[in-house]
Amino acid sequence: MCAHGKTTAPGGPTRRKVLLTALATGVGVASARILGLRNLDASESLSSLVDTMDMSMATGVAELPDEYDAMFGVPDDSYAAQDFLDASNLPRTKPVALPPVDVRPAVALQLPVSGIASPKLAGDVDWVSPLPKESAKVTHLLRRATFGATEVELDRALSEGFARTVERLIESPFVEPPVFPAPAAPRPSASPSMTPRASASARPSPSASAKPSASAAPSMAAGAASPSPSAPAVLTNTTSINIGNLQGWWLDWMTKSPTPFAERMTLFWHGHFTSDYRKVGTNSPAIYWQNLTWRRMALGDLRSMLLKVTPDLAMLRYLDLAASTGRAPNENYARELLELFTMGVGSYTEDDVKAAAKALAGWRLPVRTEPTAQTGIFDARRAFTGAVTFLGKTGTFNTESVVDTILANDATAPFIVRQLVTSFVTPSSSDTYVARLADRFRRSRYDTKTLMRDIFTSPEFVAPETFRSLIKSPTDFMISAAKALGATNLSGTIRQYGSTLGQNMFDPPSVAGWGEGASWISSNTMLQRANFVTAAIGALRTTPSAARAHERHLDSVLAQGTVNELNLAREDKSRWFAVFASPEFQLK
Amino acid sequence: MGATDLSRLSRRDFLRNGFVFGAGAAGLAAGYAAVPDVFARAVYGGKLDGVMNDRVLVMIQLAGGADGLQTVIPLQDPKLRALRPQLSQAANSALPLDASFGLNRSMRGVKALWDQGKVAIVHGVGYPQPNYSHFDSIRIWETGDPMRRQQDGWLGKTIAANYDSAGHPLVGCACGSSEIPGALRDLDATLSVINGQNTFKFNGADADRAMGVIYNGTPGIYGALFDTSVFSARDTMARLRLAREKYTPRAAYNDNVNLVYSSRNQLASALQLAAQLIISGVGAKILHVTLGGFDTHDQQLARLDSLMGYVDGAISAFHADLAAYGMSDRVLIATWSEFGRRAAETANGGTDHGAAAPMFLIGDTVKGGFYGEAPSLGALDRGGSLKYTVDFRQVYQEILESHLRVDSQEVLGKAFERIPAVRTA
Repeated sequence: MCAHGKTTAPGGPTRRKVLLTALATGVGVASARILGLRNLDASESLSSLVDTMDMSMATGVAELPDEYDAMFGVPDDSYAAQDFLDASNLPRTKPVALPPVDVRPAVALQLPVSGIASPKLAGDVDWVSPLPKESAKVTHLLRRATFGATEVELDRALSEGFARTVERLIESPFVEPPVFPAPAAPRPSASPSMTPRASASARPSPSASAKPSASAAPSMAAGAASPSPSAPAVLTNTTSINIGNLQGWWLDWMTKSPTPFAERMTLFWHGHFTSDYRKVGTNSPAIYWQNLTWRRMALGDLRSMLLKVTPDLAMLRYLDLAASTGRAPNENYARELLELFTMGVGSYTEDDVKAAAKALAGWRLPVRTEPTAQTGIFDARRAFTGAVTFLGKTGTFNTESVVDTILANDATAPFIVRQLVTSFVTPSSSDTYVARLADRFRRSRYDTKTLMRDIFTSPEFVAPETFRSLIKSPTDFMISAAKALGATNLSGTIRQYGSTLGQNMFDPPSVAGWGEGASWISSNTMLQRANFVTAAIGALRTTPSAARAHERHLDSVLAQGTVNELNLAREDKSRWFAVFASPEFQLK
Repeated sequence: MGATDLSRLSRRDFLRNGFVFGAGAAGLAAGYAAVPDVFARAVYGGKLDGVMNDRVLVMIQLAGGADGLQTVIPLQDPKLRALRPQLSQAANSALPLDASFGLNRSMRGVKALWDQGKVAIVHGVGYPQPNYSHFDSIRIWETGDPMRRQQDGWLGKTIAANYDSAGHPLVGCACGSSEIPGALRDLDATLSVINGQNTFKFNGADADRAMGVIYNGTPGIYGALFDTSVFSARDTMARLRLAREKYTPRAAYNDNVNLVYSSRNQLASALQLAAQLIISGVGAKILHVTLGGFDTHDQQLARLDSLMGYVDGAISAFHADLAAYGMSDRVLIATWSEFGRRAAETANGGTDHGAAAPMFLIGDTVKGGFYGEAPSLGALDRGGSLKYTVDFRQVYQEILESHLRVDSQEVLGKAFERIPAVRTA
């Protein structure tokens, strides 16, 4: 959502040098062959071939026959300027002595010369899309819908083809994760509201820095979901949970679930209808129940969803609706319901927020005598009884009529569609694409299963410019690496690096959930992504062969730097490192 | 294209053609990172005088909407008690700044700096037509644009316009964070993000080399972002090694009393990293740290006191550390938050999202005292928030012009009335 600066200027990222379009129409197979690392296993490396290529081009273009030159010769100012920008043509300033510097000699403010050469940037050259190929469409789908694939999943989907795989993902009933066990003995947990941390709506990424109490990180191994012998069979709404175990439980299931699309959708809704355990607290399974609820409703209709989201126990705590009464309405949930969950800023007024806050008041948390209640309880005595004017309608409202009024608003369908499209298709969706999907979404009575099928089967989903147009979230990145390796013992490592990379489950940085796209990439996260790869490979019991990893997991569409390193990597572990640490694998 | 057209080229045009390589040992060795190198001189030659200084800016974001009325507390106004029956208790234990205002009781360190004339408090900072969304208001503060048309952050723009960040990626750095804060974002600037100094290294034996090979000419819309991020990581690692050799906070603290960056205070840890970068001279110029938790919809009295305790402890240690190294006269600390909070408290002893709030400027170059006009509790806006009296861009302008001494109009688009809180002599 908050993509990086200029890449999402109105109109979104531009791909001015669209040589891929020319390639993609008709020469997909040929280009894939050309781009393949045919010599990867041979003793002769590709470097000599690569050296002959235009250094600023994606690997492989140089082998194309001459007639393509005309097609690629897109007028482009960056190339027109190239001659001029040759350093030798520049009016070189003589090495004049620098003006004096206001630096006291007592303190060394000398720049250390790190000795590291700046990278040579590619400019506007783009990846060559392999998406005309059926097999590339399949891997594209799996990257975006199922956190990549295990070898088995990949083989199955490739043999089924794109269309049948879409149907299977959409129509297979979502498999529930194993029951998260209650702890043997309830542990007291700190009052969530006292946590000195960005609570509910602190949208700025509080990230690590926003958690003054460095406490909290539970030391128990993640993924330790095995019930202890004396565990009570049933969680009540006052059973404490261990958040580290819960994070491990979900990450573990992401790598193992037979219906990984369910987990991908659940993660989407977790970021959309978000809550964090710090404010919700761990003195109740509320955040765990929310996860189960979001998965069960993941492909349902939006109306049912909103009627589950509003009284969800964790949500009631997270956005303070449980503290809101008709007499003293709290605007927090009402505002986010409109701004972040359904309509988007600009499509309602501050008065609508105040009206919705009144209309939604009345929900409360269960009390001690209601230990089995898993959702909020509506108490009419806490509700607002008067009339309000909400989105142009005046009258008495309740939760259902607030939701229905939101669904009757023209802003809602496009807003939800754009969120999904940004997450699944492209960072720069066109208004017409969104409008087309939104129209069908609304006419299907907001059925998200229909919407997801429409999204995956739309031509835009496999258009050349969508290839590698999305950056994998940390979870996406790590789960897909684990699946590619066939490793099922990495949930602890993934949990640990989730925190470093900025995506802890049940702990979004703000009520807006996690960012998308370029916001995931910084010097720190690129470093830590590489460190995750090192840790994951180091944790392997056995290392699978990496001989075909670049074909299976990178579509054989490779940047020159990746080719170079793959050829330098002579054994499986270093080859896997190059595959997972590559820019190709960070993208989807 | 003639030489005059150089000024129209963005840094990316140079970068993508690999022109920047020869920054030159002379340029690098000549001095501080703020000294523009070959590239910067070619493009920004006329600005040399403006940016040749050793000033450093540290922005502290108080994320979530920090309440002003429980931070700089009106002591005499009876309306405070009426609006905030519970929260107005804070006035009883406030640290008096003058007859009218007291500081939150947790801020003893800042009070001591105030007494030394090193703290400027700007009253009533905000912008027209307040936006009560965290997300939007943060963006407004980050971009310096209440119309929300700008994408780049005001600090990022400052860096892109004045400093050679490609050659010196620590010029702009987010400390104690894992992502680039919006204020620092600008695609024409190379920026660093250092979560923790001890964790900022490759664990794999061969990873540094391999990453250098891989990230070199990456295609695609994110290619430059990937390549510069990896380059920045590798370069920064080398610089941090140097920084560790030159900065030993513990030794300094053992000689002084109570100078401790509490390890339980994440803001303090982030500022300690900032101190290391500043003191070791690795080229840090604009640093950004964030503390969250200010969205106090309930139980604000205790929560805000606790948060301000973190802020106070961190700033005090940071300033004392810089002073011990003789560097405190170079560094300006400024706090910001996306908005203040509603004047009236809620039934839960908290406050909803508001508008204007005070900003703190702290440092040896600050002219201590109050600036601007405190908003009246008797003249709230329609939503019950304090009306702003000072545009936040007036404070930005003062930071840019008087402290960093760069052209503020290039960043803010126009000139504002001056808030003369920083010494210019």
